[in-house]
Amino acid sequence: MKGFSALGIVARKEFVEMIRDRKTLFFMIVLPVVIIPLLGNVVIDFTMDAAKEEATKTLEYAVFDDVGEPEVEAALERAPAFEKVELGSRDAIKEAIAADEIDFALVLPEVDRTSEPLTVELHFDNASQTSSVSKRVHGALAGYGEQLREAKLAEVGATTAQARKLLLEPMAVVERGTATAREVAGEVAGGMLPYIFIMFALLGALYPAIDLGAGEKERGTLETLLLAPIRRRDIVLGKFLVIFGAGVVSATLVVITITVWIMAKMESVGGGAGELLSTIGPLDMLLAWVVVLPITAVFAAILLSISIYAKSFKEAQSYSAPLQILAILPAMAPMLPGVELGWGTAMIPVTNVSLAIKEIIKGTIDPMMLVAIVASSSVIAGVLLGLCTWWFSREEVLFRQ
Amino acid sequence: MLEVEKLGKTFKLPRRAKTGSKTGGVDPRQEERSFHALREVSFKVEAGEILGLLGPNGAGKTTLLRTLSTAIAPTRGTARFDGVDIREDPRRVRQRIGFLSGSTGLYGRLSPREMVSYYGRLHGVPAAELPARIEVLFAELEMQSYADKRNDDLSTGMKQKVSIARTLVHDPDIIILDEPTSGLDVHAAAGILAMIEGLRTTKKTVLFSTHHMHEVERLCDRVVLIDVGTKVFEGDVAEMREAGGDQALDRAFLGLLGKGQGATLRKGAA
Repeated sequence: MKGFSALGIVARKEFVEMIRDRKTLFFMIVLPVVIIPLLGNVVIDFTMDAAKEEATKTLEYAVFDDVGEPEVEAALERAPAFEKVELGSRDAIKEAIAADEIDFALVLPEVDRTSEPLTVELHFDNASQTSSVSKRVHGALAGYGEQLREAKLAEVGATTAQARKLLLEPMAVVERGTATAREVAGEVAGGMLPYIFIMFALLGALYPAIDLGAGEKERGTLETLLLAPIRRRDIVLGKFLVIFGAGVVSATLVVITITVWIMAKMESVGGGAGELLSTIGPLDMLLAWVVVLPITAVFAAILLSISIYAKSFKEAQSYSAPLQILAILPAMAPMLPGVELGWGTAMIPVTNVSLAIKEIIKGTIDPMMLVAIVASSSVIAGVLLGLCTWWFSREEVLFRQ
Repeated sequence: MLEVEKLGKTFKLPRRAKTGSKTGGVDPRQEERSFHALREVSFKVEAGEILGLLGPNGAGKTTLLRTLSTAIAPTRGTARFDGVDIREDPRRVRQRIGFLSGSTGLYGRLSPREMVSYYGRLHGVPAAELPARIEVLFAELEMQSYADKRNDDLSTGMKQKVSIARTLVHDPDIIILDEPTSGLDVHAAAGILAMIEGLRTTKKTVLFSTHHMHEVERLCDRVVLIDVGTKVFEGDVAEMREAGGDQALDRAFLGLLGKGQGATLRKGAA
């Protein structure tokens, strides 16, 4: 039988079996198409709700005024959603905040007002990432602070706006950013998206790979397959194509899903987030998809080798766990500060793909470097596939005791 | 016809491998990091003949059958199927053999028809002939009622019939059966034995290993007994009784084993 025909027979059978497997379909289709947008919506909704709640909830506070500055307290009373509560002593502030009895306390210690500014100590839980206490208190007191400043400026004779500005800001540093809005957006979104693409390429290939190698051994079908009068290379290639295809489908679906989700979200998410999302176009996503292809082939070859070596499904799962870590860490490189795409990082598998996707999203990818990354990843995939074929011809691997 | 000539198989042992046999005695097959699973085994099986391969657990039967079926390569010696050498042209050998084992599994998410068709195509059965060939096999094995159900949903007996159909779909000249009734109930085992008997009439060469002496008495024209990787007896059932010193075949079997190297090994373990 001709090689191509045998390869096709093996691949077709493996494909039919794969699409009848619910677990594979879950990882390959349901996870990228349903779970990712659902998760994205939940995260965005949760973040927006939390921010809204923080901005509108009534803040309970206590005041300890040693200098007799009732306007500070009055400013808080005028501001919406602030409620004063009585606290026995200032020593109880920390405990009261920890016990959620108050959200913050203001302490106005005695100072010499002729030589020192009025000091307002804001005591609050600064460990809380979502807390808006500081922002809201500053906002509430800003008006009174402005009044005091105006009075002081008047005392020194700065009556015109020009004079006041010169006195307050004798030197101004004006920022003129050179990055485009797309580059700024890419720096933020470009860290996370490659990680998602690469993870889904791996996840999509993982389960079929285990099933097609170790699963075949466990079921007792491998021996009969080896006795078919075809080259073992065709068996490996047939299996590889299906595993690679599963990874590609998974990565493709997650790229499409995220593209559609971004387009849909641009309408509903306004402000900076909407502007940020609008800079990522379908063509960027298509290019990102192309870069993911060779690394998917690398994953497929490694996973198939692991799976062929393992004696059982469970053993294959154990062996593939370190691979997941080895894929996750380099894929996270774009999220690390200071890690940029250069000829050095372009030589590191997975990391190079991850950084290339980030540069694509930023619109700053060097075409030569892109070609080099796709070519080197393809060569690695080819070498690994060759090793996998050699691996599949070894008796001690196939009939490991 | 199958000719086995001084066939030997040695496995390299991993560094961590312990010396001695699984039963605790000193295994004569082990030398440092080498395990001689088969030593110069020779015999012949004529077309239309059923040869029983006997031996205790760990004797080397499965290694011998795997080597003959080309799943693993021999270290020494060779075998020829109708003149085709397993070393020189393993793929051509595979076209001529059908292999069935008691531990053979099925693709659970395929139907019997899909699975048998898959193996038919892998063995080069022309696409135009394959459906008819499958229909004939399914009719002979009375499989039509579940031919399109998923293998996972079949009973043990049904599954074994699927395996038989898979083994015979390409009409092999030589059938190798490794403990084909292992783990089957009486009904399913009877089906397998009937199939083997049927093969005799079609002039197929059959080599099968078993632990059941009633199967040997019923089916085998001749018997080869191996122990610790070495052939200790070859002859027909009557000769086996005579050589083993007992009319009951199981006692004759034990009698023959008691004379070989394996006996010393087993005594050591006891």
